[in-house]
Amino acid sequence: MPPKYHIETSQVPNRFQKITRSGIIAWEEGCLKCTRCVKKDCVYQVYEKRNLDDRQMLDSLDSACMDCFRCVQNCPNRLIHKGLNPSYKALGDHYWTPEIISGLWFQAESGRIPVSGAGYGGPFSGPGFDAMWTDMSEIVRPTRDGIHGREYISTTVDIGRKVMAIGLGPGGEIISQAPPLVEIPLPVIFDMLPWSPPGDNIQLSFLYGARALGTFAVVRQSGINPAVREFLPHVIIYVDGNPGDLKEELFSSARIIEIPDGGDPIALQERFKSINPALVVMIRLRLGPKTPERAFALIAQGAEVLHLVADEYGLEEGSDPLFIKERMKEVHLHLVDKGVRDQATLIGGGGIAMAEHMAKLIICGADALSIDIPLLVAMECRVCRRCKEGIACPVELDGVDPLWGSLRIANLMAAWHSQLLEILGAMGIREARRLRGEMGRAMFFEDLEREIFATMGKRG
Amino acid sequence: MDQKTAGLNITIFFCQQLDIDQDKNRRTLEKELGSQIRFFPLPCSGRIDPLHLLRALESGADMVYLIACPEGACRYREGNLRARKRVGYAQKLIEEIGLEGARIELITGTAATPATIDTIARELLMRDATVGISPVRSKG
Ligand code: SF4
Ligand code: SF4
Repeated sequence: MPPKYHIETSQVPNRFQKITRSGIIAWEEGCLKCTRCVKKDCVYQVYEKRNLDDRQMLDSLDSACMDCFRCVQNCPNRLIHKGLNPSYKALGDHYWTPEIISGLWFQAESGRIPVSGAGYGGPFSGPGFDAMWTDMSEIVRPTRDGIHGREYISTTVDIGRKVMAIGLGPGGEIISQAPPLVEIPLPVIFDMLPWSPPGDNIQLSFLYGARALGTFAVVRQSGINPAVREFLPHVIIYVDGNPGDLKEELFSSARIIEIPDGGDPIALQERFKSINPALVVMIRLRLGPKTPERAFALIAQGAEVLHLVADEYGLEEGSDPLFIKERMKEVHLHLVDKGVRDQATLIGGGGIAMAEHMAKLIICGADALSIDIPLLVAMECRVCRRCKEGIACPVELDGVDPLWGSLRIANLMAAWHSQLLEILGAMGIREARRLRGEMGRAMFFEDLEREIFATMGKRG
Repeated sequence: MDQKTAGLNITIFFCQQLDIDQDKNRRTLEKELGSQIRFFPLPCSGRIDPLHLLRALESGADMVYLIACPEGACRYREGNLRARKRVGYAQKLIEEIGLEGARIELITGTAATPATIDTIARELLMRDATVGISPVRSKG
């Protein structure tokens, strides 16, 4: 049995004070000068270690406080209060919520799974991925030996085209050729960012991270510079310019190349493969109502990998956009129907914000997925989108140290990997490849609603 | 923008309760003025500490404003009253070291005209400058 895939984690401290959900408001005026101030009794010594970060004028009180309320309750003159922090509520937006962002920060800082404590206080259902539940029935299996212990669960997936049958020649010799296949130990690749501050450091963080984790980062053709070349075995070159401008040597070092749909991607795929037959070619499609048909047509013509991307909210294009999981299901089932699903790899991306989204999109039919914004959040991004508007980044991501960034990314991916193992273990599935398309092991809110309520309200 | 305080570095601390959309509303000014203007939202103006004000001057601000809610409208009841005392204290401190007390100013909104943070800030920028470049900054 091959060694277990393991991601090394470490505590990687924040560069900036984090924005916390609540803050301490302590009045000085009215202090009774007690012989022993309650502030001295804080077990976390929050008041003693207090400092002010002048880049953001944030008091360390807020991020260090563990919300025990001891000081609040014990000050005899009620001078210490805890209040909700409005800056926390202003983080991100309706999709990239403050809870998601702060959860990603925690994982990137510690490499650990966020634990919410006893019970789950959130809603039972919601839009998007929240309208889907996975079957965790195997969680109680008594023989379970611990997914982090001796039990082996693989998260490896393949990127490339697969042959469905071996072709034999007249003398019984094998004549079919096996197309190139790239294995990644985690079903995740790093995609281009929808927005980010300028400079190369963010990209370098991604590349260091991709190399350390054994996966890939998509880099635009125009962004291939000498610093990126060193990482070519972990780069997916996205051909967004003239393919003729790509230097031949790139083809020999790169293992995967991505081309946009439109024009004749299959002809381009053939052209690239004639230069390096070991190259895997991926076709990038904007997810939309026509994707199921288009995906089938491309696979029928020989496409190897389709990268289906939604926007940063997980929505496809069009006037009445579907959420990525809905369309992914449809694409997958259409390809199953046509009998070609196993020939090609599907990678889904856009709106993947949490580890559970990863498992859920795979259940909906993706072999692997691409992520973008969470990697930036791992490096303290607040999803304020100031960079998109040309305003300075409040956490100075343009000058981020790529090594620090890559450690944060590795931590986040380690936490996601552990969560994927938890989900697979609880579902009784031993490998991520087997999770793909396992819709029978999940429940979808819309389906349940239809099944339960369809017959009601029908008169006569 | 026709700014009377052109060339000055302005730091604005403000109570976030004043403008729930502050994060969006302040962006045009942040874009126009870049590092010349810095906004620091506070959960309550009473959260200000004289240290905030001094640090702002120390890190290159020529003028530091604290914008508080109108009297009687503080969410924490007396935050803005306490803020006034702290601003007074910080002014005294900087005067002692030879800086003009006017480099720190408390602005109190009026209950009658609730305003967005950018309109308040623009008004401040349009006022005649009472101080010049801070000696802290010019000494580098
Ligand atoms: S609430 Fe608890 S942890 Fe927070 S500062 Fe007070 S005593 Fe310390
Ligand atoms: S924090 Fe804001 S400006 Fe910085 S990278 Fe994130 S979205 Fe862009």
